[in-house]
Amino acid sequence: MDRDAWERIQDLFHRARELPPEQRESFLSGQCDDPAIAGRVRDMLAADEAEATPILDAPLGAVAERLLDDQAPPGAPDQRFGPYTVRRLLGEGGMGTVFLAVRDDLESEAALKILRDASLSPSRRERFQSEQRALAQLHHPSIAQLYDAGTLPDGTPWFVMEYVEGLPLTEYCRRRKTSLRGRLLLFRAVADAVRHAHRHAIVHRDLKPSNVLVKDDGSVRLLDCGIAKQLEGDEPADQTRTGLRLMTPAYAAPEQLRGEQVGTFTDVYALGVILYELLTGQVPHDLSRLNPAEMIPAVSEPPARPSQRALRALAGLARGEWADLDVLCLTAMHPDPARRYQTVDALIADIDHFLDGAPLDARPDTVSYRLAKFVRRHRSGVVAGTLAVLTFLATVVFYTVRLRAARDDALAESARTQRVQQFMEKLLQGGEDDAGPADSLRVTTLIDRGLLDVRSLDAEPEAQADLLETLGGLYTRFGKLDRADSLLRAALERRERLYPAGSPPIARSLAALGQLRTEQASFDSAEALLDSALALYHERLPADHPDALAAATSLARVFEETGHYDRAIALLTETARAQGAGRDTTPELLATLYGLANNHFYAGHYDTSDSLNRTLLAAYRRRFGEAHPNVADALTNLGAIQQEKGNYAEAERYHRQSLEIVRRWYGEDNPRTATGLTQVGRALLYEDRYDEALALQRQALAILERVYGSNHPRVASALNDIGGVAYMRDQYDVAEPAYRRVIEIYRSVYGERHYQLGTAISNLGGVYLDRRQYVEAERLFRQALAIFVEALQPDNVNIGIGHIKLGRTLLRARRFGEAAEESRAGYEILIKQSNPAASFVRAARRDLAAAYDSLGKKELADRFKRELADTT
Amino acid sequence: MADDRAALDHLFSLAYEELRRLASVVRRNDPSITLSPTALVHEAWIKLADSPAVGHTSPLHFKRIAARAMRQVLVDAARHRKAEKRGGGRALVTFDEALDARLESAEQVLALHDALEALAQVSPRQAEMVEGRFFGGLEVREIAEMQAVSEATVLRDWRAAKAWLSTEMGSR
Repeated sequence: MDRDAWERIQDLFHRARELPPEQRESFLSGQCDDPAIAGRVRDMLAADEAEATPILDAPLGAVAERLLDDQAPPGAPDQRFGPYTVRRLLGEGGMGTVFLAVRDDLESEAALKILRDASLSPSRRERFQSEQRALAQLHHPSIAQLYDAGTLPDGTPWFVMEYVEGLPLTEYCRRRKTSLRGRLLLFRAVADAVRHAHRHAIVHRDLKPSNVLVKDDGSVRLLDCGIAKQLEGDEPADQTRTGLRLMTPAYAAPEQLRGEQVGTFTDVYALGVILYELLTGQVPHDLSRLNPAEMIPAVSEPPARPSQRALRALAGLARGEWADLDVLCLTAMHPDPARRYQTVDALIADIDHFLDGAPLDARPDTVSYRLAKFVRRHRSGVVAGTLAVLTFLATVVFYTVRLRAARDDALAESARTQRVQQFMEKLLQGGEDDAGPADSLRVTTLIDRGLLDVRSLDAEPEAQADLLETLGGLYTRFGKLDRADSLLRAALERRERLYPAGSPPIARSLAALGQLRTEQASFDSAEALLDSALALYHERLPADHPDALAAATSLARVFEETGHYDRAIALLTETARAQGAGRDTTPELLATLYGLANNHFYAGHYDTSDSLNRTLLAAYRRRFGEAHPNVADALTNLGAIQQEKGNYAEAERYHRQSLEIVRRWYGEDNPRTATGLTQVGRALLYEDRYDEALALQRQALAILERVYGSNHPRVASALNDIGGVAYMRDQYDVAEPAYRRVIEIYRSVYGERHYQLGTAISNLGGVYLDRRQYVEAERLFRQALAIFVEALQPDNVNIGIGHIKLGRTLLRARRFGEAAEESRAGYEILIKQSNPAASFVRAARRDLAAAYDSLGKKELADRFKRELADTT
Repeated sequence: MADDRAALDHLFSLAYEELRRLASVVRRNDPSITLSPTALVHEAWIKLADSPAVGHTSPLHFKRIAARAMRQVLVDAARHRKAEKRGGGRALVTFDEALDARLESAEQVLALHDALEALAQVSPRQAEMVEGRFFGGLEVREIAEMQAVSEATVLRDWRAAKAWLSTEMGSR
């Protein structure tokens, strides 16, 4: 049905409806000679009369109720979650249900947590996946490892993590009657895990004893790291909405109860409460009978000091020691975030001070306190006597001064770390929307706002430089290259003033600029910058320092981009050696090997690339299981290699395996599945199975249209593939509308001056050329060429190809002089490329020979005939 | 324009997640409460009105987005139900009447969804109208205001659309 038919149907329907029923039939047969339309109107009239459309007339409530009735807990046994199968229920917690799950291939056990009352909207599901991958990168002996995560078809998030058999922290201490020192050491291990998460810009948000399990061997595991965040929106007010159900009020900081911005300081508070409970056996504030509104004033009051409620098991402690523990604990859980320990680092430092009997940083800096502390530490050395007293006082003064200086340093350092962390966290929260070009705009707005903050930091130039570099990196990632440029240069200038020449921070700035230059396609400058960064690192840092290795990887990318595959290979081989020395296959090493495999592929070393990809495939399978997208990536590469080697059936087999994995992992309606279909489609083309290829590409297109809507570059690219196949098969009536839609999409997304638009117009020109409609073809090719010239560097390969296509059109139109000019211009551009598009060079030579022949320029014609013969 | 799109996506996500959450919370707290999508959409508006993302949105615009979200929530739930059946995890409950009813509802929602998609191809305005009225509980007056047409036009278009959808769904 099209719009006209629908108008016609409606018109007939309304007119017939107004007639008495017995006249309708004759009216219809008189007015309408299309039996399909008449039949439809007849059915509609009947439906209208009957007034009993099954769902449209029933109250939707009943339907909604049946569909949304999820009394039964999700995750019945046998349901699959990635490579995991559910075995049995372990328990139900505040956030959801926990099952014991087993990984099919390894038979290893894991805990599966399915969140309750949470359902991510389709647009957030993919983002969720990528955030989970970030969490899965968090490795720490005291953090329960996150293995996998995903969403059920209805959007309910699930997580698979290390299965830990142990007791909750407080329960463990109670049963084992753990000593004070033992308790503090356990607490310190928890704090250390939290510190590790904070360094990766992950705030736990739901710390409590039941999220800390102690195993039989006395080691601790922090559970649910970073998971609470998944249920919160990305704006503070969204948190108000969801906040209360995500946390456990007894351990929640006042700012969390108020629904304000949370941060690392929120976790510090919860750690304070946990310590309080370890010392007293009870939580500081009993909130169990209060409603949310009453909780906030309650937690704003200072609780009883831990010493007043001390556990009997901890009797025997000196009064001075209790005084320190009171200060430590109450500083950590101060209602005002500004007066808490500013970082977990600072909290750990004071735990260590306490364990060593040294003065606390949190203690008010009074001489009497320090004296008392000093006396306790040097009880035997404090002897009555003038000399002794003098020595003693001198020592106190010395100590006090040195401590104050040291503490200021530490504070400055931690304040700086804190600032960078908070800042990053804020950015990351706002950056949750980086799903596409539209959303990255929001991210850059956020970065812009961050920039204002940074400019006001003049008094802290080191932190300012760090943040400028961070922001510059973010701008680079989001494609705002000009802004990135000015920020990264500003960071470099500041560091050159702050640090001695050639020190590592300066090298870091050079490397960041080098990465930006790569994005800007200024490869010479990128190479120079990265080279000097590397040279500085090699002078100052061990060869396997992560910064040095990262710079090497960036340089290798420059080599790859410029087609210097051998140099990229040499550099990556060296990097891989440094990364692999005596260690497991780390994610970094795998990334290097992946780059190495690609470069070998581009360099035409198909066998080496093949064996590297096989190594990667095995490593990925070991690490992530059979059904992981990384495995699919490796299979895709193996497929591409077989394709290059001409083993098309083999290639198809790999691409199909890859597609199966991707499809199962991401589901049908996912862009990754569409990519998989496209790759199989391309493989089929090589086997001359055009119709099957076209069918797959149409499937891919349908998926992308469902996911992105009809006006998105990914949709355009799928249409372009379809147009390409149809064009090859001379199905111009399929190719033309496809290409026209591509043009429409690029025009609305990228505007009039983007080279992608040029490519699309040029493709459409090809259709007209083949149809021998030279006037229109010429017009389109000239339009495309004008866009290329405006958008690209003068020697860009696309400009060359544009000239050659235009030349061929003119040649067919028998305008030999102009044809020769265009083909020649294109030819000159292409042969200057380090990696020329061979088929176009050949086409140019053939056209030039023909054009010069027709123009009677025999010498020139012969030259190109010779070149043609030499190269084939 | 890109900013609008992002804001719209964000609004949609908020509405979707809030509706889904409300639905299960309401049910768990009191299973006897009837889940009317209209009431849910209204409830969601009350909850979200103070959030900055929603703050400068008109109630009418929000309802329109929420209707879209409600439709998606139900379609997702329907697909879930069908998958559940296919998954075979509950093979023993074949004779469970409740399950049959759920499946039937799932089929109906999916049929309506597909028919609406087809309608949107020829008349996006009418499809939006049905969506707003059916999934968001928008009044005729509100739809007329939203689409800048008279109430009589809305009623007339609604009648044709409904008759067409009903034949379209029946023919599946």
